[in-house]
Amino acid sequence: MALVAQEIPKVGLVMEAVKVVRWLKNVGDTVTLGEPLVEVETEKSVIEIEATASGRLMQILVQAEQEATVGDRLAWIETGTASPTSAAAEAEAPPVAGAPPIEESKVAPPRPTYLPPVSPPPAAFDARAAGRIRSSPVARKLAAERGLDLATIAGTGPGGRIQLDDVRRVIESPAKIAVPSPVAPSPVAGLQRLSPMRRALARAMTLSNATVPQFTVERSVDWTELQALRAQFSARLAPGAPRPSVTDFLLQAVARTLIEIPALNATFWGDPESPDAGVLPASGAHIGLVLAVENGLLVPVIHHVERLGVAELARRRVDCVDRGLKGRLKREEVDGATFSISNLGAQGPDRFTAIINPPQSAILAVGRQRDCVVVKDAQIVIRPLSVLTLTVDHRIADGRLASEFLARLVGILEGRDWRFD
Amino acid sequence: MLHSFIDILRRALDEEMARDAAVHLLGEDVAAGGAFGVTRGLAQKHGATRVRNTPISEAAITGLATGAALCGLRPVLEIMFIDFATLAMDCLVNQTAKYRYMSGGQLAVPLVVRTQAGAAGGAAAQHSQSLEAWFIHVPGLVVVAPSSPVEAYGLLKSAIRLGEPVLFIEHKRLYTMKEELADDAPLPPIGQARIARAGSDVTLIAYSAMVHSALEAAQTLADSGISSEVIDLRTLLPLDMATIAASVSRTHRAVIAHEAVLNGGFGAEIAARVGSELFDELDAPVQRVGCPFAPIPFAPDLERALLPGSDDIVRAVRQLPGLG
Repeated sequence: MALVAQEIPKVGLVMEAVKVVRWLKNVGDTVTLGEPLVEVETEKSVIEIEATASGRLMQILVQAEQEATVGDRLAWIETGTASPTSAAAEAEAPPVAGAPPIEESKVAPPRPTYLPPVSPPPAAFDARAAGRIRSSPVARKLAAERGLDLATIAGTGPGGRIQLDDVRRVIESPAKIAVPSPVAPSPVAGLQRLSPMRRALARAMTLSNATVPQFTVERSVDWTELQALRAQFSARLAPGAPRPSVTDFLLQAVARTLIEIPALNATFWGDPESPDAGVLPASGAHIGLVLAVENGLLVPVIHHVERLGVAELARRRVDCVDRGLKGRLKREEVDGATFSISNLGAQGPDRFTAIINPPQSAILAVGRQRDCVVVKDAQIVIRPLSVLTLTVDHRIADGRLASEFLARLVGILEGRDWRFD
Repeated sequence: MLHSFIDILRRALDEEMARDAAVHLLGEDVAAGGAFGVTRGLAQKHGATRVRNTPISEAAITGLATGAALCGLRPVLEIMFIDFATLAMDCLVNQTAKYRYMSGGQLAVPLVVRTQAGAAGGAAAQHSQSLEAWFIHVPGLVVVAPSSPVEAYGLLKSAIRLGEPVLFIEHKRLYTMKEELADDAPLPPIGQARIARAGSDVTLIAYSAMVHSALEAAQTLADSGISSEVIDLRTLLPLDMATIAASVSRTHRAVIAHEAVLNGGFGAEIAARVGSELFDELDAPVQRVGCPFAPIPFAPDLERALLPGSDDIVRAVRQLPGLG
């Protein structure tokens, strides 16, 4: 048997604090490597952290609503645990009077009749379930000295008994320091503290505004062709399949543009003052989709969008949004983007400017679609238009490249060249 | 120079006889050296009056030795095998152990009863037992069980000088063990245990030959990162509870090992005292290692199979929470 620490992996580039939303497993449960173990709220979303080992969840060190930072231990997983049933089965069975002799190697030697039968050890059981907290005397003493409630400590001993080391781990756990005290005074009267997600968002946006020189370019896009194609395609879809939205076409168009103009498909690293600063090209089109959720933003990332058709993108998007709203995104599903799309939809503004999510290269803000008077072939016509505003990190690209990018993007969006599967 | 357990006992007796004319040796064949040669040559050196052969009658010779002690001598009586101390029980329990109390402190019995215990080399069920628990049950007796030649040297001298009835238990398996003896080493006081190996994760409490099994187990456990403290009790009665308490308060776990059968063994007494006096220090139930409840077999293979050893101690430690 061995104890394996479940730690908080680093998810985002500026991620520091997380808050545990809920545990998906209870102490004593069997967990499998890679299985979702706990939901934590990060700056980017509520994500699932997977078990880093198979075994039994022995102790939860950071409870729901508590905060911790990257690298902190969240729990202990005991590996290589024998199941209680096998332990009971291995116990020596009492002799049965009159039982026929069996192969000698398989049974205990016959016992003299004056000896009491050996009773099998009681199978391990969760003492908490039985309403009593088992703890070793010295563990109890230490917990009492430190004012710790035994009910908050998970035991790793037999039957869930709290051992001295379990109490020591809680005392030494840095997560304990982060437990918010109900009576902790606010530094400013009436101050409402930020949630971890809000705080991380504030940190990322402050970092962006303070360190990323950003400029914007704008261009209108005419949705006429795309609307027609979308209607035709949707009509052919099987009932129940997710209907592609404009966002799915936007995803595909942005991905194709990023592959064609790879200068923007990159992230910026380092301090420009340093000769080590540089631009890291991405291996595919990994695009973040900004979603407004209650009191914050979620940015699920769809990876290798360039490989996906509109139908598949619709499925992925619906799934991502669905799980994002439920807080069930995995950490790799909120990480690794070079570019984000923010679409505030039909109820949104005519046009808006978004702020880059560092270290991404750019973000596309999609204004609401509205019918506009347009001069087309020397005729005045009414067309459905949106204003696309592209915000670009000036350290990565210049105005001309941004203009080319936006022109190519609009060209694709107004064209008929789509991959539908 | 290395001294065997037997040689070192002889040296201690020789020196005490030279130091104190009241010291006399009694026992079956002691003038000829005794069954193991411990007293060889002492009759020639100190005279037949002070090294006396006795009849094969443990009850009679224990009475003789007790009487001699009451009359002012410091006899050292050898009972050949603790198995036959059963024949001396009435005198030891009802007379020897009671005089000081029943005389209101006016009488003392400065008697040392040397005897051999433990299984070694197929001596069979009547010559292999570890019966110390019976004597630890008797107020008025002192019970000593050394773990090595050097310990035996000092403890035997301290026992002779103590002025109380002492049962001095020598393990036959240790008789051939050899050690260097420092000339100026202080005599270990009766009633004081020693830390044979310092450690922090578990306290292994042992005495006599089992100290070596405990040390071996500690080495095995150290290889897997478990740090064991080994206590050699040296004196079983009175028990040095202070040393045990200090150690268990550091390690929070205790395993007691002895060669005697577990049932009613001295380990049960130690476990009970640790459980009640050190309850708040314990992180795990106290474990005991001992002989299965059976007579010691004659066949050497069976004897080896039955006797507890370092493997059993390692297993007991690994069963403790946190040390698996």
